[in-house]
Amino acid sequence: MQSEAVEAVVDGLKRSGVDFISLLPDSDFSTLQAQVSKDSDFEYVPVSTESVGVGVCAGAWLAGKRPALLIPTSGLLVASWPLTSLNLAWDLPLLLLIPFRGDIGDAFWLMGPYKDTTEPLLDVLHIHHTVVSKISEITPAIIDAQGSTISWQRPVAVLMTGETIK
Amino acid sequence: MKRYDALSALAGMMAEDTIVVGNVGPISREWNALRPSEANLLQVNLGLCSAVGLGIAVALPHRKVVLLDGDGNLLENLASLADAANRRPANLTHIVLDNAAYEGGGGLPSATAGLTDLAIVARGAGVPDSRTVTDLEEFEATAKEATDGSGHRFIVAKVEQGSVSGLPTQTMDGKEAKYRFARYIERTEGIVILRPRYTHI
Repeated sequence: MQSEAVEAVVDGLKRSGVDFISLLPDSDFSTLQAQVSKDSDFEYVPVSTESVGVGVCAGAWLAGKRPALLIPTSGLLVASWPLTSLNLAWDLPLLLLIPFRGDIGDAFWLMGPYKDTTEPLLDVLHIHHTVVSKISEITPAIIDAQGSTISWQRPVAVLMTGETIK
Repeated sequence: MKRYDALSALAGMMAEDTIVVGNVGPISREWNALRPSEANLLQVNLGLCSAVGLGIAVALPHRKVVLLDGDGNLLENLASLADAANRRPANLTHIVLDNAAYEGGGGLPSATAGLTDLAIVARGAGVPDSRTVTDLEEFEATAKEATDGSGHRFIVAKVEQGSVSGLPTQTMDGKEAKYRFARYIERTEGIVILRPRYTHI
């Protein structure tokens, strides 16, 4: 991610009240991870699997935090189990930020299947999402998604593609 | 050791404001009967008890958090031990009622019926204080030390399979449990969780 995009994400998170971030270290979010890990405005909990990340965020929300979970498209598949068992079964909000690897324009063959799985999986889980491809769209998309997850009491995802993750 | 007896002893030493997270199945049914409380968050699904408890412990570092976990439940998501240990919580006691079986799922053996030792796994994951207890007296002493003290503690209580009859039915689903628990935290912490003021639109 370019530094401009990282700043736009952090700005969106802060302006929407997010104060707790969990993520699995991932190449697409490495610069963002480095920034949030040293930012005292965020409680930062790195995890070893997305299933722990969803659970940690659920507990944090129930205890008064405003969590966001940053996961790769492959991790969404792992997270689908706790998203169902916790967020859907208990009506728990969660802001999901996902670098949309495998989207059209992603040249790495290994990412291709995630074009098939990501949006259909979100639809199956009844997790509404928005797709941003320009850096200028990042901050307002995060603010809107956070507002919706709080209002709806269910997860909402922001998929980041195009220049936002290059 | 019978699980109900161990939980009964634990309930007797539990402070009113200690938050307890329990996994779905007999553990939650028994604990709900022994210590009905708004500070309980019960029926957390398989594999997620420790992760949810970690999130609460991090969010509320001044509150004691006790996890009532099962062996099969924890085995589903062992990475949660490593993630919790590396967070170094000072307020987390993780108790595994280990009956070496998937009792709620029909009683087939879990990995701890074989070679797996969860106390060693926890120690290897980085939990600084990890022990196995096999009788009620030892459990009471270890649990008392944990509930009176601080730090990140992990206790494997070896228990028999089987529950007790006549336990009250748990009538709350997760949605009601969410509101009850969140309202309790709001009241005891003086914060707003549900429907916070949000003015971006």
